[in-house]
Amino acid sequence: MNDDTLTLYYYNDGLSESERQRVANALATDASVAKRYQALCRDLEGLVDADIGAPPADMVQRWHEGLDRAAGIETQAAPRPAVHSWSFMLGVAVTAALAVGVGIGVIISGSEQTVVPVMEELIVSSPEARGSSAFIRGLQVHLRESEQGLSTLPANTESDRALLILNIIEQNRMFERAAEQNDSESLARVLRAFELVLVRLAADDITPEEAEELRAKLLFEFNVVLTKLTRNTSDEQQSI
Amino acid sequence: MYKRSGFFVIAVALTLSNFSLAQDDSTSDADELKITALEALISAPPERALPIVTKVLKGTHSDDVKESALFILSQIDTPEAHALLLDTAQQSSGDLQVEAIQMVGISGDKKTLAALKDIYVSGNEDVREAVIEAYLIAGDSQAIYEIAIAAESDDDFEDAVEMLAAMGAMEELRGLLDSRGPSEGLVDAYIIAHDFETLHKMALDGSKLDVQVQAIEGLGIVGDQRANEALLEIYRDATNEDVKEAAMDGMFIAEYDEGLLLLYRESQNPAEKRELLEYLTMMDSDEVWALIDEALENR
Repeated sequence: MNDDTLTLYYYNDGLSESERQRVANALATDASVAKRYQALCRDLEGLVDADIGAPPADMVQRWHEGLDRAAGIETQAAPRPAVHSWSFMLGVAVTAALAVGVGIGVIISGSEQTVVPVMEELIVSSPEARGSSAFIRGLQVHLRESEQGLSTLPANTESDRALLILNIIEQNRMFERAAEQNDSESLARVLRAFELVLVRLAADDITPEEAEELRAKLLFEFNVVLTKLTRNTSDEQQSI
Repeated sequence: MYKRSGFFVIAVALTLSNFSLAQDDSTSDADELKITALEALISAPPERALPIVTKVLKGTHSDDVKESALFILSQIDTPEAHALLLDTAQQSSGDLQVEAIQMVGISGDKKTLAALKDIYVSGNEDVREAVIEAYLIAGDSQAIYEIAIAAESDDDFEDAVEMLAAMGAMEELRGLLDSRGPSEGLVDAYIIAHDFETLHKMALDGSKLDVQVQAIEGLGIVGDQRANEALLEIYRDATNEDVKEAAMDGMFIAEYDEGLLLLYRESQNPAEKRELLEYLTMMDSDEVWALIDEALENR
């Protein structure tokens, strides 16, 4: 039982029910694990008590924009960011939340408290709720942002390209995990397949032609999945 | 309500674009049009989309177009679609076969996934890799475990182990140690999983020295208190110089300078002390200057 698992247990995040049960059993039966957990709790509580300064206003503004977009209220009039400002707004928000303590709910303190959606909010329990869930909206944002990022790939340097793709992979894994926990196994499979292609695209030993092929393949597949998600939520007709 | 004219446009795009295949540029343009048309099929009911996808896959279109059609096919959850996907995975070759196999993983149909085992057995290296990836996509660790158990070459075994490690399939990985014995691939997998218990077991198993050395160093990567204590114990009990060196390497990797310092103080052997001191110097340990001073003073 490593500290990562105990940390996830503390924050009630990222562990399945059976994994949580396993940790609970270990805490109840293994004194050394219980002792480590107590020490960990003290450390983590110390983090919460620590004076976390208010983030810069522009950063908060970007988080707000990311959250708004995740909530599907983005407007067509909003200007698109330039190539290098492409930044996975939702990811920034969620990552920031993770950095200071996932599961706490109210994370960032400013002049007034800002509620940051955490992983649990990407996870809905009932299939009926899925169509309108934060998970689906967040996934749509992820796919659109990924499309946008991939579209600009040729303009970036080699290292920028790798960094960009690694960011996409990181986000993709988060949504894959959320899909599993939402019982959306078909979406989880598609996201796993995306990751395999993204990893190939991030490799530095592929030719420009191969990179272009992989990029085109991903753009096609992102589009298909986006269209499918939109269709499934609109209920206008029966589709694939 | 989906409009019939939409299907007509798609069908026309897929059918008539064959007329513009005379030149490379126009071929590319034609393919782009076909791929755009295929993309629109995702909005169609399965009974309307499947005949068009079938026609594309059976036709003389480029691999790019057919691969796009395969992705659409993977999204159609009907027995007919699964059968067509499997047929393409079995009957095609090269990149298209690899793509079809991976699309079986995306479709997730258990019967079709099970049929990939035969394709694995008769396939070349690319095909075997694609089958394992399809199982990864489908989240089917048991199928990969069975491939590893039956693997006839070390490379095939290591590929399967690597994939199980990526999936975090600890139960299957432990099962492989019992059934196939220690291997470098398994050590890597346990390191990735931070599986102290199994790494410790392998670190004490001297049946394959190379693997044992790798497992000992792996304990250093795990780097927690249990691993540090195990490294100390392995060093003290070692009768083989390679094992001792691996334990020192492990402590170096774990930045466990307290352990090396303890061993330094315990040792009565000048050559051994010198080697331990070298490690402590490399680690820039706080204590190292006092030790150097002691050594110079011959204390």
